[in-house]
Amino acid sequence: MARLRVAVDIGGTFTDICILDQTSGLIRIEKTASTPDPIDGVMSGLEKAAVDLSDVVLFSHGTTVATNALITRRLPLTAMVCTQGFRDVIEIRRANKEDLWDVYKDVARPYVPRRHRLTVPERVDAAGQIVTPLDEDAAREVGRVLAKRGVAAVAVCFMNAYMNGANERRMKVILTEMLPGVPVSTSSEVLPEIFEHERFSTTVVNAALSPVVVDYTRRLSDRLHGAGYAGDLLLLHTGGGVMTAAGVADYAGRLAGSGIAAGAIASRHIASQCGFANSIGLDMGGTSCDVSLAYEGQSRVTKDWHIEFGYPIRFPSIEVMTIGAGGGSLAWIDEAGSLRNGPQSAGANPGPACYGRGNTVPTNSDANMVLGRLGGGLAGGSVKLDGALAHEAVRTGVAAHFGLSVEEAADAILRVANANMADAVRLISISRGYDPRDFALVAFGGAGALHGVAIARELSIPVVIVPPNPGITSAMGCLLVDVQHDLAESYLRPAADADPAEIEAAFRRLEHEAAERLAHESVAAADIVMQRTVDMMYQGQWRSLAVPAPSPIGDMDSLIAAFHAQHAREYNFRRDDAPVGLFRLNLKAIGTVPKAELATHPMTGHVPPPMATRRVWFAETGGAETPVYWRPDIGAGATLRGPAIIEQLDSTTVVPPGTVATVDARLNIILRAEG
Amino acid sequence: MAGADTTLDPVTFEVLKNSFITAVDQMAEQILRTCYSFVIYNRDFSNALNDANGDSVAQGNQDIAVHVGTLHYTCKDVIRFFRDDMRPGDVFAINDPYAGGTHFPDVRLVRPIFVDDEVIGYAQSNGHWSDVGGSVPGSFDVLARDMFREGLRITPVRLFDAGGLKRDVAHLIASNTRDPVSIIGDMQAQAEATNVAARDIIRLVGKYGKDTVLAGMASVQDYVERAVRARLAALPDGTWETADYIDRDPSAGEGMIPIRVKLTIAGDRVIYDFTGSHPCIGSIYNSAFGATFSAVVAGMKTFFPDLPLNSGFYRVIEVIAPEDTIVNARWPIGVTGFLMPFEKIMNSIYEIWSRIMPERAIACAFNLEYLLTGGHDLRSADKPIFMFYDWLPGGWGGRNGRDGCNVTTACFGTGLMSQPVEGQERGNPILTTEYEILTDSAGPGRWRGGAGVRKTSILREAERTVISYICDRERAVVWGINGGLPSMPHGLHLQRAGQDTTEWLGSVFSDVAIGSGDSFSRPTAGGGGYGDPLERDPAAVREDVADDYVSVERAARDYGVVLRVVDRDTCDYAVDTEATEALRAQMRRERLDWIATDPEEVARRFRAGEIDALDAVRRYGVVLDWGTGTLLPRSTEQFRESFHARSVIHWAKPAAE
Repeated sequence: MARLRVAVDIGGTFTDICILDQTSGLIRIEKTASTPDPIDGVMSGLEKAAVDLSDVVLFSHGTTVATNALITRRLPLTAMVCTQGFRDVIEIRRANKEDLWDVYKDVARPYVPRRHRLTVPERVDAAGQIVTPLDEDAAREVGRVLAKRGVAAVAVCFMNAYMNGANERRMKVILTEMLPGVPVSTSSEVLPEIFEHERFSTTVVNAALSPVVVDYTRRLSDRLHGAGYAGDLLLLHTGGGVMTAAGVADYAGRLAGSGIAAGAIASRHIASQCGFANSIGLDMGGTSCDVSLAYEGQSRVTKDWHIEFGYPIRFPSIEVMTIGAGGGSLAWIDEAGSLRNGPQSAGANPGPACYGRGNTVPTNSDANMVLGRLGGGLAGGSVKLDGALAHEAVRTGVAAHFGLSVEEAADAILRVANANMADAVRLISISRGYDPRDFALVAFGGAGALHGVAIARELSIPVVIVPPNPGITSAMGCLLVDVQHDLAESYLRPAADADPAEIEAAFRRLEHEAAERLAHESVAAADIVMQRTVDMMYQGQWRSLAVPAPSPIGDMDSLIAAFHAQHAREYNFRRDDAPVGLFRLNLKAIGTVPKAELATHPMTGHVPPPMATRRVWFAETGGAETPVYWRPDIGAGATLRGPAIIEQLDSTTVVPPGTVATVDARLNIILRAEG
Repeated sequence: MAGADTTLDPVTFEVLKNSFITAVDQMAEQILRTCYSFVIYNRDFSNALNDANGDSVAQGNQDIAVHVGTLHYTCKDVIRFFRDDMRPGDVFAINDPYAGGTHFPDVRLVRPIFVDDEVIGYAQSNGHWSDVGGSVPGSFDVLARDMFREGLRITPVRLFDAGGLKRDVAHLIASNTRDPVSIIGDMQAQAEATNVAARDIIRLVGKYGKDTVLAGMASVQDYVERAVRARLAALPDGTWETADYIDRDPSAGEGMIPIRVKLTIAGDRVIYDFTGSHPCIGSIYNSAFGATFSAVVAGMKTFFPDLPLNSGFYRVIEVIAPEDTIVNARWPIGVTGFLMPFEKIMNSIYEIWSRIMPERAIACAFNLEYLLTGGHDLRSADKPIFMFYDWLPGGWGGRNGRDGCNVTTACFGTGLMSQPVEGQERGNPILTTEYEILTDSAGPGRWRGGAGVRKTSILREAERTVISYICDRERAVVWGINGGLPSMPHGLHLQRAGQDTTEWLGSVFSDVAIGSGDSFSRPTAGGGGYGDPLERDPAAVREDVADDYVSVERAARDYGVVLRVVDRDTCDYAVDTEATEALRAQMRRERLDWIATDPEEVARRFRAGEIDALDAVRRYGVVLDWGTGTLLPRSTEQFRESFHARSVIHWAKPAAE
């Protein structure tokens, strides 16, 4: 009997299904159209792939259900209960705008409109003392009104509740009593951290998503189990781990960016299998490019993110920088005569000019077509590309204006696009203190392998890795994750006053809670790994650094020394004589899921004859007849010298002159400069 | 190559243009992660790359509005001073408003970027330090009439050299502030930020060569200039004028202080002429030339939001600002409160451009306010100094086809963030009891202004505490356009511990002593309305009432919309259509009389409690001393003149009977 692991990644257009056979280590993929109820797409994809769910031992899932609910605002009726006098925290926000200058570009409205934000008398001060006890009559009155309105979820958000959640807990008890079956999130449970807007905003997102996600996971679980699946449904969360359906009810907000993390995880994993602990992921699709970074085997994590500007979700998230650069990004000339690229995109429809669906503005895909890097078809020929249309678009859109040949113009378009992506990589690497020369670039997504080498050259990145199935790499990411919870506790203290025993006790509390959560998700104690970090700063600074901390915590001096060293690495200066402060204790609790080994292939070194040659243009050589290889025919251990083009069903890899491509045992293409 | 640059190929040009911006954005990222001043952290900072002449090549996309158009002046002043005396590793500091800076708290660090022995440009980082000395905490003494009470003036000094921070100079500067440890920290954070950009430029030189990078620096300025000129040339030539006001000159009698702006578009040129503006006044609410130029740039950029900012933009703009007026103060006149004229200039420019580009029209935004409290914190035994500085968001103006934005940061500092109450309560002996949107604060209009807020705080365990307040538009109330109505007058109320009544302290005061248990409350205005409020869709008014942005009472008084309460529990209100039509017809008939009512009569009715402050300004166009109810005749005359031009003449005539 086959033992399968299945991962499903639902995107806007396609649902990708990735099936790993544990015994052979072989991966199979299926792509199917996404459906209005995404579960239909999942089930039909499984059927199409002929997966017998009773053969499946692990079903892991990255879902955009939560993200889409936030973006479209199709949220259940959600109310907020706030401290009297603080009804508008989520509307006041930090009062800033995303676009500073365009007074017609507004910040989105809050997720909960003002009328559904109610208040009760209660107050806790900054030291955690209850200044005003909860007014229980007022609390019951609020419960009565919310019941009458028929709310589906409630967020309880009280001032300073991160110091003392007693009033919030009492409010929750009253609401649970009066609104049976309605999920209630309190800010002190969801995110016990200082700063009201960030905490409340996260709590509101968590509450509003709870009915959405619980309903979705229940329906999906039912159908999977009905079809024979016996294991847990694992859901990828934004932090790069998975939760079980049991964990979702209380922490629904962690799924808000579920889809974002998968590509970054896959990229990190592929790079580390190739022996690179430091890697930059470049996931380039039709309209945008996602850039991520892993250092020493760990993905960079951020708490500064949102689905819509102004409404932070402070659950840890794998850091992904998205820019408007994809195959469909438009090349255009602005009024002052500069050649620009994106962020506007022709999207999938009408798509690039070469799709022949009416767009006549040149795109990156058209430029690749003109230069011969892209052939006449996509997805194995299911989309036909018209080179004459691409040529005409580049000629009229760019070449004529600058008096360039069409090839030079196409090259100019791509150089601008590549420089923009390189800038995004710079912002996520160099400005964080990382040197790109120490990294490998993993190029994936439909268009990543067309641009990977050029971007790497721009940044002096020595190695580019193109995974075996660049178009479905994200789905594979869902197969590679562990159960993970991220817990934190505020700890605001000068390092000089900090008591290691107190910190140790706080970490023990967090570890105890994490262990309970993992046990609730049936993770065996032996599979649990706990990682501690302490957020620290020079006292007076406003942002902290997460410094890895040992267990047990040991003495403060070594923690402080680690902080100075990290500050110097990231910011290029240190103040050894300045006082250091602690801000927060963080715990990452991991329930490791045994990983299946991907199959390795015998190193035959087989290089098939090219399936064709065509004229491909490179700046170094001009146009030259270039061999085109069919990737599935190339054996592990093979070496190809550029210029060459390697085509496969879901992607095209460009091997420019001066570059050598080798194929490793897992069929990754590794590209390096010759010599 | 039609219209494009002639020296660089299009790709190199576009790549360098974006690389310059990336270099500057990396500085911003570094500042946010390492700064000490909470003012800087909340984004009161800016960064620039300047060329070898000091002209701006690129400025950060997220930089605070108020610094735009000033960074080239301070760079040029550093060059003037140190031209032949710069070495690699040097970083210079300057905060001089009389040399084109803004005010003393904005301290700029300027690092020359060397290639061999040649300076090819400068990286500049400008941040608002939390204190630069002077007579009151936070260095905003409203009563200062010259700079000697305001704080430390830093003309160009060498702060770093090849050996790092010059301890003597740094110590001298830091020792003249109330927070020396943080100030040294900010010096290092800013200096290191300039280093980030300098390294990036050196990298570009390594890749493209020095001459190409220098050509790129010049080309991106030419590029922006071409773009601005192309936009201007496409607009009709003409001249437009308006005036806005500062509330008062504390050293003179009652009467608002005019700032006059005349804008001329002639071909691809634009001229802003401030002739006729009032002479300098006896407070810190004066602006030196650099800050006035910045206000012009910031106001105009609002109508060209997609164009990058650099000296190419600035070259197109001509500013005529007579010396020794409130828009061109000279040493040693106090200018720390330049933000007050700054925002008046910005809003005047909004108004003028709203006529030129009606599709982007916007009414007046609320006025910034800044509260400065300092004393000794009794929560710890050593009674440390605390400094509670706070600024609030408010409403922006109604727009053509859209309401104004609620609770948004002030227009001088788009990008500035408001502070979390929990952070404030942790750092200061303060408990905030209210921080909410203020119902009825929005200026009524067919498209109403955005709503303002009210914040009330109690002083807890503290001693030797004083409070100062910097605000305006208590009299020159936030105005509407195209028939829209003003928002509201405002100022600070103080309630002493154990007292039932409040004291009105208004919108400008300095160094008022307060004690434990005293509470102070201050609102911000909403934005001005756009269009006649009697033409607002009654359903939109009903929705505003359901959300408590507007009260049932003022729905009738300002919009003529009569609402019936169906069920308050479910926020269910119904428009009484018939009563609404009747009320609107009556208001159309009577409102021209209201606005002509004898001001003394209006003042009397206000004192008698028959009308409130919103009625006084929105219905009668009358400005009072809001504490006593005394009429301010000259201010009322000025206010009515503006009200007439911006609102009354746009109202539809009443239907014939």
